[in-house]
Amino acid sequence: MHHLFLVLIVMIVGALSGFRANADQPKTGERHPDFTLPRISDGQAMSLSDLRGKKVLLIQFASW
Amino acid sequence: MLLGVTQEQHPERCRLFAQWKQFGWPILHDPINVLGASAVPIVMAIDEHGIVRSTRPASDTFEADFLNQAFPDDATHTPPSPTPKHPPAFDDLKDNASSGNSAPAWRQYGDALALWGGEDRLSEAIAAYRNATTCDAADGPAWFRLGVCLRRRSELSFKESDDFRRAVESWGTALELDPNQYIWRRRIQQYGPRLDKPYPFYDWVPEAEEAIRLRGETPVSLPVRPDGAEIAGPLRVFAAQKERPTNPDPDGKVLRDAGSVISQVVLVPATVRAGQSVRVHLNFRLTAATSDHWNNEAEPLRLWVNPPDGYAVSEQLLAAELPKAAVSSEERTVGFEIKVPSDATGIVRIPAYALYHLCEDRQGLCRFVRLDVNIEFEVR
Repeated sequence: MHHLFLVLIVMIVGALSGFRANADQPKTGERHPDFTLPRISDGQAMSLSDLRGKKVLLIQFASW
Repeated sequence: MLLGVTQEQHPERCRLFAQWKQFGWPILHDPINVLGASAVPIVMAIDEHGIVRSTRPASDTFEADFLNQAFPDDATHTPPSPTPKHPPAFDDLKDNASSGNSAPAWRQYGDALALWGGEDRLSEAIAAYRNATTCDAADGPAWFRLGVCLRRRSELSFKESDDFRRAVESWGTALELDPNQYIWRRRIQQYGPRLDKPYPFYDWVPEAEEAIRLRGETPVSLPVRPDGAEIAGPLRVFAAQKERPTNPDPDGKVLRDAGSVISQVVLVPATVRAGQSVRVHLNFRLTAATSDHWNNEAEPLRLWVNPPDGYAVSEQLLAAELPKAAVSSEERTVGFEIKVPSDATGIVRIPAYALYHLCEDRQGLCRFVRLDVNIEFEVR
């Protein structure tokens, strides 16, 4: 069920994606640069590296 | 594990969206576009070693090609982190920027302040980004982030009167430097004219709040509610008003305000071109020196716009929202759009005036007054 949910997310976001690839974004095979940003839920810092050891589906988006 | 990063200005709006859609995964806030996305959405499948395995994962092969795979730690390259270290060493970053006086150093200091300094240090972030653009006028990210911080301060009690206008100008400068940056473009379009909108940005908010209430939950509170340009939908043809309203004070007989209220005009985009449309944001606020307040037991503040021949406006007579309280002192905003003729050049003046009711605090004397407004811009 968890995997099905992830697949659905990928499908939905893929369907919304009308833009060309961002040229400056990391490429396949590269390690994604670590980043630390505040969570919208509580403003606390969270890093991509906090999830090291897990597979991550990273989605950059906006609510508009 | 899902991880979201939102690229918009107001994090609570994304929180409301996430609450509406019942997203249970962490979402991070990147208001200054420090990750450098030039468009969204971006979806990346990142393996357990932090290595990007797909930049466009396909739904039909996602499980087989990614979730069910064990990957080696064989990264070809690790780009540097675009975000400042956390917790940020503000003093070190400031010393580094001051001694080196380079755009990247000032921008790095600004990023740390913008992301982690809170409202208290927002003005310092603005100063840092200004220094970056002084060092390098072609630093597009610095111009964009300067605009973000100015816009943020324009919503706070300690704002400077020109903050919103300067934010729009900064974004315009950034976009001129990199016209392919759609995140920067969207920030302008969010507040801009309907002919330039790709979609309505925040028209979903009432639907979201209603759906959440029906579930028995309390919607996330929005300190700054989207309205006007932020909820207007796109148009392909300029929607000039169909019927001409009546000029409420054609002979200028209403007494002029003696300095209780000042107005501010912000145009989006900041650069006005012939043949295009521009959104005018007009703000009215009671001056610090006055003891007057708005009288809400009468008509709302109205704005009359008198465009020259050849110029079309979306509305010629506008009214600001009227609060429920009998008296108030808040800023009042109205917005409308102007279609500039294709042969326009040079300085353009659009006569306008506002009519409103004020009452004195002490003696309670009330009066109805007029404020002539100067809407002026250059068509380039």
